[in-house]
Amino acid sequence: MKTILSGVCALALTASLSMGTAVAGTKIGAIFDLTGGLNIYGIQQNNALQLAVEEINANGGVLGEPIEVISYDAQSELSKYTQFANTAILRDKITALFAGLTSSSREAIRPIVRKANIPYFYSSLYEGGACDKVTFVTGSSASQQMSKLIEWGVSTYGPKIYIMAPDYNFGTISAHWVHEYATRNGGEVVGEDFLPLTVSDYAPTLQKIQAAKPDFVVALPVGANQTGFLEQFAAAGLKDRIGIVSTNYGSGNQQVVVSPQAGKGIIASAGYFMEVANDQNAKFVKKWQAKYGTDTPIVSGAVDVWNAVHLWALAVNKANSSETEAVIKALESGLSFDAPNGKVSLDSKSHHLNQNIYIAEGNADHGFDILVTFTDVPAVFEADKCDLVKDPGLAEHFTPES
Amino acid sequence: MDYFATVLISSLSSASILLIATLGLAVVFGLMGVINLAHGEFIMMGAYSALTATQLGIPFILAIPVAVLVTMVFGALVEIIIIRRLYGRLFDTMLATWGLSLALYQGAVLIFGSVSPGIGMPQINFNVGDYTLAAYPIFMILVAAVMLAGIYALLTRTVYGMKARAAIQVPDMARAIGIDSARTNTLTFAIGCGLAGFAGAILLPIVPATPSMGFAFVIKAFLTVVIAGPVTLAGSALAAIGVGTGASVVASFMTSVAGDLFFFILTVVLLRLYPLGVSAKWRIKL
Repeated sequence: MKTILSGVCALALTASLSMGTAVAGTKIGAIFDLTGGLNIYGIQQNNALQLAVEEINANGGVLGEPIEVISYDAQSELSKYTQFANTAILRDKITALFAGLTSSSREAIRPIVRKANIPYFYSSLYEGGACDKVTFVTGSSASQQMSKLIEWGVSTYGPKIYIMAPDYNFGTISAHWVHEYATRNGGEVVGEDFLPLTVSDYAPTLQKIQAAKPDFVVALPVGANQTGFLEQFAAAGLKDRIGIVSTNYGSGNQQVVVSPQAGKGIIASAGYFMEVANDQNAKFVKKWQAKYGTDTPIVSGAVDVWNAVHLWALAVNKANSSETEAVIKALESGLSFDAPNGKVSLDSKSHHLNQNIYIAEGNADHGFDILVTFTDVPAVFEADKCDLVKDPGLAEHFTPES
Repeated sequence: MDYFATVLISSLSSASILLIATLGLAVVFGLMGVINLAHGEFIMMGAYSALTATQLGIPFILAIPVAVLVTMVFGALVEIIIIRRLYGRLFDTMLATWGLSLALYQGAVLIFGSVSPGIGMPQINFNVGDYTLAAYPIFMILVAAVMLAGIYALLTRTVYGMKARAAIQVPDMARAIGIDSARTNTLTFAIGCGLAGFAGAILLPIVPATPSMGFAFVIKAFLTVVIAGPVTLAGSALAAIGVGTGASVVASFMTSVAGDLFFFILTVVLLRLYPLGVSAKWRIKL
């Protein structure tokens, strides 16, 4: 036992010694779900981070040195996030962390990065409300997407809305925003159904939708089972008379899973679609496909990570330091960046991005056609609740009810 | 009134979908006493087999037998390599098949990636009063009935069926009169897996093929088999129709969460009243 222990110690010592000598430039940590159920998103998030770092390093890196990435696979398990966040901070001595997909993963990481005082970037669309001095959100929030989608839906289809949402905080908080923006735009929610993620048969929901006679349905299917809802909605012949809109359809490439006859005509709103037409996106897509192939379309979460890494690098170079205080000060100085999804700018108070929100229509080729672009949309709720410049001690997850 | 009629029809179709997904598990558990926790992944394998077959240009109707064949062959291999060594060790088989389910799930992620194109449902629907129903899910009621009749005939009208029941009910006597019980069990397990494959294939238009699709089915299928008890076929059919229809009706009039709650609470109540399953005291054997 003793020999084994000392052997382990010796090994650990060599490991730490060799790491000490291998220091290159500034170290950043990446924790994403490369395996397990969430890897639809995690693999692309990680790919985007690698691609962004490659590009920055090719252009001279940060502070004149290349960025070094320490990457971990969270295996779609919450406990791995806390474990690897601690490891990355305490052992690897990273200067910034890029991690997480689900809100629960972000909430698991937040206390750790806060204690360690390390800038943390969360890059996924989410229900909104995170407010913390060291946390920066580059995905779009529910209020940001819903504000435009409901306005568009009411004016396109009519005032009566039915909500189909997953039965956890993403679904319930998103539903709150549907109610809120329905009222503001002269609409009305005529019914709602919150569904467990395990339901695979949507006949009861379809009956209730028909009984409520809405002009359009806000469908927020999460996970593989709920994607089946769209298929069943179309097969019941409802798509011809009832519109269907979503803030998360396409975020996990659902448009590839559903059949063309079900996917055609579904309206999605998001901060990014691969079909977005601008020079930055053309360059980004070309670079991505050269490295990762053309098999799967790029999801918005990947672009959110790409933007996060670039904004961090801009801040470090601007501050001329990778120290936390200096970097956060630079991040709060009104940074903006020409991103694949159009120009994004970091709101210094809420630590969320002002960014374009696109409304797109699913076509018959498993893709999207962009219908409308709303430029420079703020994260409405977060900007209202969260002022980290005035009150840097805030560490909250605001929900609309509170 | 129209609403009530559509709710009843679609609830019966929900129950049939549950029954289709359950029968493979019921056969393996009922005839062999083996709880196959990888049942959901066999459904997934059936779905991917059918999907791959259609992508190769085979019509969907012919892709279904392909899926059954693939899952049967794989099931036979699993029986020979793993299950056979663990007969009579209920918890060991559960652990082994659970491990198998994890391996199959991650295998599917590696082979097919996490998203594959679906094949879509036939866009046929019909009206009941003001309400429209998709035809394909309703068609599942017929499929479930045919499946049930087919398995019943297989087990009662064929030599294999008699051997299979003999090999499991009185294994020593079966061997004494010359039945190769090892081979019979391999075939029974393969048939159970084939039924799972059939379920995955026939339900493909309703539930798209994804690596994690098995999880959605396995819990409810497993509970249905437990509620059913020793009389495999009739018990499972009754349990699926009773609990499945009930849950779906509750979901239609209240919320889907209430429907799920109803399913699980009813399971608890039934098992409290009939600890060995509802069919424990029935005279019939299948």
